Amino acid sequence: MTTNSLDLLQGTLDVLVLRALNWGPMHGYAVARFIHHGSDGTFTVLDGALYTSLHRMEERGWVESEWGISEKGKRAKFYKLTTAGRRAFRSETDGWNDYVAAVARVMSASPQPA
Amino acid sequence: MHYPSETPRWRRYLRFFRPDVHGDVDEELRFHFESRIEELIAQGMSAPDARERAVQEFGDVTSVRQGLVAIDNRLARRRSRSEQIFEILNDVRYATRSLRRTPGVALAILATLALGVGANAAMFTLLDSIFLRPPAGVINPAGVRRVWAERHYMSGTQFSQILSYVQFDAIRTALGDRANVAVYRIALQTRVGLGENTGQAQVGYASAEYFSLLDVRASLGRLYSHDEDRLDAPSPVVVLSRAYWERAFDADPNAIGKSIILGGTKYTIVGVATKSFAGTELNATDIWAPLAFYARGRGPGTPWWRNPAVNGLFMLVRPTAGANDRELEQRITTALRRSSVGSDSLTVGRFGSIITSNGPGKKGQEEQIAVRLTGVATIVLIIACANVVNLLLARAVRRRREIAVRLALGIARGRLIRLLLAESAVLTVFAVAIAIAVAYWGGVLLRKLLLPDIHWAQSPLDWRVVLFALVAAIGSGLIAGLIPALQSANPELTSALKIGTGSGVVQHSRLRASLVVVQSALSLLLLAGALLFVRSLDNVRRLDIGFDAKSLVTASVRFDDRTRASDSTLPRRMTELAERLRHVNGIERVGLMSMPPMSGFSTLSWYTDTDSSGAHRGFLMTASGISGEFFAAAGLSVLRGEIFSVTRGAPIPPSVVISESMAKTVWPGRNAIGQCIRFGSPTDTCYRVIGIVENARMGEIIERESIAQYYLPLDNLPTTAKRTLTAAYVAIRVAPERYARVSNEVRSLVRQHFVGGIPVLTRLSDYIDPQYRPWRLGAMLFTVFGILALVVAVIGIYSTVSYGVNQRVHEFGVRIALGATLGDVLRLVVGTGMRAVAVGVASGIVLALIAGRLVVSLLYGVQPRDPVVLGSVALLLLAVGVLATLAPAWRAARVDPVTALRSD
Repeated sequence: MTTNSLDLLQGTLDVLVLRALNWGPMHGYAVARFIHHGSDGTFTVLDGALYTSLHRMEERGWVESEWGISEKGKRAKFYKLTTAGRRAFRSETDGWNDYVAAVARVMSASPQPA
Repeated sequence: MHYPSETPRWRRYLRFFRPDVHGDVDEELRFHFESRIEELIAQGMSAPDARERAVQEFGDVTSVRQGLVAIDNRLARRRSRSEQIFEILNDVRYATRSLRRTPGVALAILATLALGVGANAAMFTLLDSIFLRPPAGVINPAGVRRVWAERHYMSGTQFSQILSYVQFDAIRTALGDRANVAVYRIALQTRVGLGENTGQAQVGYASAEYFSLLDVRASLGRLYSHDEDRLDAPSPVVVLSRAYWERAFDADPNAIGKSIILGGTKYTIVGVATKSFAGTELNATDIWAPLAFYARGRGPGTPWWRNPAVNGLFMLVRPTAGANDRELEQRITTALRRSSVGSDSLTVGRFGSIITSNGPGKKGQEEQIAVRLTGVATIVLIIACANVVNLLLARAVRRRREIAVRLALGIARGRLIRLLLAESAVLTVFAVAIAIAVAYWGGVLLRKLLLPDIHWAQSPLDWRVVLFALVAAIGSGLIAGLIPALQSANPELTSALKIGTGSGVVQHSRLRASLVVVQSALSLLLLAGALLFVRSLDNVRRLDIGFDAKSLVTASVRFDDRTRASDSTLPRRMTELAERLRHVNGIERVGLMSMPPMSGFSTLSWYTDTDSSGAHRGFLMTASGISGEFFAAAGLSVLRGEIFSVTRGAPIPPSVVISESMAKTVWPGRNAIGQCIRFGSPTDTCYRVIGIVENARMGEIIERESIAQYYLPLDNLPTTAKRTLTAAYVAIRVAPERYARVSNEVRSLVRQHFVGGIPVLTRLSDYIDPQYRPWRLGAMLFTVFGILALVVAVIGIYSTVSYGVNQRVHEFGVRIALGATLGDVLRLVVGTGMRAVAVGVASGIVLALIAGRLVVSLLYGVQPRDPVVLGSVALLLLAVGVLATLAPAWRAARVDPVTALRSD
């Protein structure tokens, strides 16, 4: 585990998972790898939190799960986005982008005279 | 492989019953760890290090796992719920769609089920009101008892609630503080107000304790007190029922304190009873007055409450806690025996329920009919059920292929049965809705028909009836749906798929043939019952009551002013009125009489030369004083001798006209004419018998006792009869079609003739009509149910044979191709169908012979085993059966062999 990990807010993790699944159906381990590689080790997500996020989104109706066979020939549970999930992904992404842009504006701003 | 908390293998089998949440979570996590460890080892890590690293990256395995299981459990529960709802909706949608494809069959099923259930629910409303529902508004009705006297006579046991005040008083003393008691007189129709256009109300008389015993309060004003109810000096106060107050006073609170005139007596209204309370009988009471008014002014001398001959009172008892019913009954028995007139050692005191019809003893004819009809309604429901089974079976047969395809595609049999049951469920829901409507209107109608004199306080429909309809409909719908569902869920797949709709006939037709047997047997039973009632009604109608009821009208006068009623000039003026009526156009005959016909009896003591003791045992007799053309007006024909002369002014010698039965009873085997009867004392004037007229009924259209009548001339009465037999009524003979016009003229003449008098006109036919009612009713209702059963059975026979034909089109094609003639095919089809009908008719006759004794007490002049009745019903059913099979048979005979053989 890397030391300079950021604590991720739950909502942020959901966005990342949705982002991963937007590529297509994948099992939990693949989602974990996707986030790990994507972040380039900038932050690390506990795998347990990831699975919790997946199951919660299934309960919310954003993803569906199905048992299938992994690339290595093992039984694995695959997740895929539902229509509601895709809609959620779009609105979460927009929200996230607004958030990032706002943070960036604050970070680059200089103090204004009052 | 390391993974915390390995799942046992057996858990996987749970998956058959519900999603295995634990197993799924564990398997998912195991896959994660295996993949991660594999990857780390591939990167050159040692196995233990890799495992440690994987767990580290994961976090707290146990708590995450618990969290996942919790989420998945919630999910699984929600899914199974919504899946069920979805499946049910799906089933319903499917069922509705498939029913809509065959609207005829669906409607037939719906109608049969709704009528069957509706008829039963309607009967239930009636039974519920008569036997099950305690009077409304009474607190703890189960704790209230009615007092009955059981009397043993030579002819059998009789039960009566009627007591005299003397008996009531004796019982009250005997019970002491073991029970609260109340005495009352049931409500009777009473005139409200004065003059000609008076209203009517059901007025009852009750002791003040009546209300406290039943725990009834006043909703307005107050109830009358014990002091106002004193027997020697009662206050003229009344309490209204809430319904009457709303009806007659528009719920005006100022009604309290107003006065109301009941039967000529002025009362003050002091209160209105609680909302639902309308007395303790079926017949709703409108007004209660203190008991003492019931017999006020009856007879001089001893007050009525000390006179054992004045009776008609009912008694209620509410035993105090700890009192023993048997012991109380014992005390009542002792009290009754001590207080009754003469030796009454055979009387026994009995308690009955507060619901009168549940008391001991024989039920009234209407109540008996109600009970029989319930049995009939149940039979109709059975027939209806059999029919629904039949129709559903027929549908199922036609859908064999579809069902086989579904089964071949792997539908679970349970699910298939549910699918088929959904159809009968949809039908049942609609049927219940219709049935409740049928029950409501049927209930209203039945109450009106069966017990029209009763003023009902409650709606026929309550939650019990709705529950009954629901249970009956769901029960029958389920049975009717389950049999075909089970049947069709078990076809032999391959045969059903290979051969078209033509297979499986043999297997199904046995069940359906037995349904036809049941239907025809039961409808024969009901039709036989109907015919027995129709014959009884016919016999009763043809009874000769002596009087010519259709055209006999009696006219009299009444006065609101009581002193006028006892005016001694009235008989003379009534004679004058008769004289004037003689000239009214349309009146054929006019006579005078002392008592209206069929209104009971009155007699004098009389002696003959052979019996000077005056003890005329063995028959009832009744005396009438008459004059003018009475016999002609009443339609009584003179059999022998002559009647009193109508020549005006000519003196009439002391003479008497007697009825045929009297002639036969008093002078058997001898000529009655010329015999001498002395009235009052054995030494009084001899009245010679000058003529014999036909018998007339005294009160009821069916009288089993031998009743003797003698008619004395009003113009020359024996001394003893001068006070009792007076000219009080005018007998008029009017053709029925002229009655409306003539009656108006008669009324205005009466008003002219008696100033302040109110004319009272009665047609004998109106008066005795209620007596025919139970007979007419039994005949009508049994006929309705019988025809209903017949119609349903015909539909059943037709549909069975018709579907049978459809199944065998191929076979008929072959037969016709091989040279079978039209007659051959007709004989074959009709023969097959009629075999079931014939078996049904035979078993129906056996059933009718067995069930006959249940109705024997309700019949008149016909035996339940009457061969003509059974024979004609059997013939009718066979004829109808042939007709029902002929149509499909004709279709079978017209089958075109080429089309039939090609079609498969």
